[in-house]
Amino acid sequence: MICRALGDISFSYLLSLHGKMQLLRRPGTWRWSLGGAALLLGLLSGCAADPGAERELNYGLTLAPTGIDPHINASVELGIPLSSVYDTLIFQDPDTGEFVPGLAVEWSISADGLSYTFILREDVVFHDGTNFDAAAVVANIDYVRDPDHRSQKAAAMLGPLDKVEVLSPNVVEFRLDRPYAPLLDSLSQVYLGMASPSALEKWGPAEYQFHQVGTGPFRFVEYLPNDRLVLERNPDYAWAPEIYRRDSPAIDRITFRFYEDPATRALALEGGQVDIIGELPHLEADRLAKSSDFNIDPVPIPGQPLQLIFNTARAPTDDVTVRQALVLGVDRSRIVETVFGGYSPVAAGPLSANSFGFAADSAFPEFDPEFASELLERAGWTLPDGSDVRRMGDADLQLALVVPPWGSNPEVGQLVASAWEQLGARVTLTVAPGFGPLNEARAQGEYSAIGMNSFGTDPDLLRPFYDSEGFFNWSDYRDPELDALLDAAAESFTSLDRREQLYQDFAAQVRDQWLILPVRDYVNLVGSSQKVEGLRFSAQGWFPYLNDLELRP
Amino acid sequence: MVPLSERSRITALVALARRLGAGLVTALAAVSLTFFALRLAAGDPVASLLSQGLTTPAQAEAIRRSLGYDLPLLQQYLHFLTNLTRGDLGVSLYSGQPVAAILSSQLASTLQLATLSLVFALPLGILLGSISSWKTRPTARRIATTLSGLATSLPVATTGVISLLIVSLLARGRVRGIQLWLPALVLGFAAAGPFARAVHSGLESSLSSPFILAAKARGLRRGRRIYWHALRPALPAAIALISLEAAFLFAGTVVTETVFSRPGLGRTLVRSILQADFPVAQGIVALAALIYVGSQMLADGLGWVLDPRLRGSG
Repeated sequence: MICRALGDISFSYLLSLHGKMQLLRRPGTWRWSLGGAALLLGLLSGCAADPGAERELNYGLTLAPTGIDPHINASVELGIPLSSVYDTLIFQDPDTGEFVPGLAVEWSISADGLSYTFILREDVVFHDGTNFDAAAVVANIDYVRDPDHRSQKAAAMLGPLDKVEVLSPNVVEFRLDRPYAPLLDSLSQVYLGMASPSALEKWGPAEYQFHQVGTGPFRFVEYLPNDRLVLERNPDYAWAPEIYRRDSPAIDRITFRFYEDPATRALALEGGQVDIIGELPHLEADRLAKSSDFNIDPVPIPGQPLQLIFNTARAPTDDVTVRQALVLGVDRSRIVETVFGGYSPVAAGPLSANSFGFAADSAFPEFDPEFASELLERAGWTLPDGSDVRRMGDADLQLALVVPPWGSNPEVGQLVASAWEQLGARVTLTVAPGFGPLNEARAQGEYSAIGMNSFGTDPDLLRPFYDSEGFFNWSDYRDPELDALLDAAAESFTSLDRREQLYQDFAAQVRDQWLILPVRDYVNLVGSSQKVEGLRFSAQGWFPYLNDLELRP
Repeated sequence: MVPLSERSRITALVALARRLGAGLVTALAAVSLTFFALRLAAGDPVASLLSQGLTTPAQAEAIRRSLGYDLPLLQQYLHFLTNLTRGDLGVSLYSGQPVAAILSSQLASTLQLATLSLVFALPLGILLGSISSWKTRPTARRIATTLSGLATSLPVATTGVISLLIVSLLARGRVRGIQLWLPALVLGFAAAGPFARAVHSGLESSLSSPFILAAKARGLRRGRRIYWHALRPALPAAIALISLEAAFLFAGTVVTETVFSRPGLGRTLVRSILQADFPVAQGIVALAALIYVGSQMLADGLGWVLDPRLRGSG
């Protein structure tokens, strides 16, 4: 409408300009007119880039990841666009948690749990025309496991995988060294999505990220780092898994842009630059929720909650009674209410409440400041008269709290520190500016508690954090019994019930040892324009089913 | 005896060589400082790289070896310097892309923003600086002084978000070009502050100099004309600020690019430091040091050409 009006105006403008050029009576007027025409043409070209027939959507991402090859890179953000560029062998139903067919129509697990056999669809074609078959699966797994490619996540997700073999053109077998229950979960994620083997070979690991080729409902068009990533509808898509509600995508083109500054995200939505954006600050979400122009989806993210991990190798948190007091002395509900508004559940254990393996029976107890003080007394930390810092012998109760900069950790850290000061501790709070410095602080070991968490659908994500030799064993807690529990849970591939029970036993031990202070289950506040319909997310919580999105006219 | 012209040419060459040498030493110092500062402060790059994966210590060790981060620090440094002299900046730890390719893909956007900001900053700074010396119009003068004070003191992050707020409230629906002109305006406003102050102090001193007195004596009236008369000698000092402004603008793009979600070097630099992506951070600092040293040398050279008093001093 506006475009057409502008077109008319500029057309008549050009006509008058034509007249003036012939006459050239007043050179000054002529110059201004030319400027005006250029301006109008500029506006028009803006219109031309927005044709009405194409159904276009703009999606705001909140991190501009460095490296977006899902086989190599690890960021969550890359999965938001790329989960719809790739299909996976199987998919996980976000409502039931069950695995359903994807590129594999069926699969079977051998009795010893060491062999997984997948029968593949035979009608699937990659975006570049290559046929999908068992050899393609092997090529993908080889690419992930090539040590020169330095895969940051996908390789680790394969666990004790020994080899992948083509049994026939449409049958592939994964052979393991040990049983590994998380394998199906791994194979249902974008990090092990199926890429065209010819594209992998053609581009190689540095360039492939700019030319990604999958079999999914959307084709990869272009990626300009820090600027935009563009997807286009795959017109040949005819193998949608049953978890998708549409057979093929309704949107022609999706442009992703990166909004790293939280303060600008709601503005981008309100200003119409994006139709969907995640990670809204909760006050902005409150404001937008009141408007009829926008929807707010609080999407719970499974995995570990925002938590503080106690250092069990350094006084005073080496004492389990002190750790218990430090948990009970913090009003977690109030902190969550203050920092995150009404959207986030208070965390109750080492896994968030919507994770498989969550143990409601061994939930961390509520705020109890009197009992917390009593526990500290019992541990030998007493308050001298007229002082507000507890002492034992000639030592003050000193606590060093180190938190990462993301996800409101600094605000939470501040409130936790003041709660601990109320208990009679002297607290120093350090906000590490990034993961590097956080890990550096961890390596130096001068902390009583440190913030770190991870996201994921399979509770095996706990193992790096709690296993004696784990990469993230920042509590420095070493207990062979706990290791055995986690190993047994990772290997119990036959019975979900037994696996769940093992994780619940594990959660009880974490609570009994007071290894962490769980604060808040992660919730991603996604805002979308009213015209967007069918916004749903994968079991991981982060990844939208772009295939199901529709735009109201 | 050597003829005078030849002597001055030799002096010029010697001066140039000295400048060049000093510039290279400065750039080398910046790059080396970054190399060691990153390793001291940014933490373990391999741990950062694997922070989102479920990794075993053995996998981490293998990656560390393949990247050469298990070697002694000095050996890493020599390796880095050798590669640098060959123009090899390495590859990003995260994306595997050559650092040179990352630089070239992000440089254009930063240059575009910085140049356009300068285009806004120069006239605005000169205007504000002149008006703030305007003794006959106290109100205008006060407004100009306040504005240039605000420009100097308000952080770009604040003005950026406020301007975004205004624009998205005023223009509900799509605004085209918002990614370029709005950040350029915001950054230009901030950069206009120092300009305004330089113009203002230049004007103050030239207004009190004898030639203005002489002009007044010849009958030039107070008011605009006399300011124009005094402005011209005040400008070169302000223009010399441009090389300093180049550094300011580069620092400013770090915030502006993030607030306005623009691609660019500033944003890439911050992320690479936080992620401990050493090769990328080193590459950007090396480039920035070269640009800075280059623009300084250019400014020095211009001064040398324009002002005969500087010649011979080397």
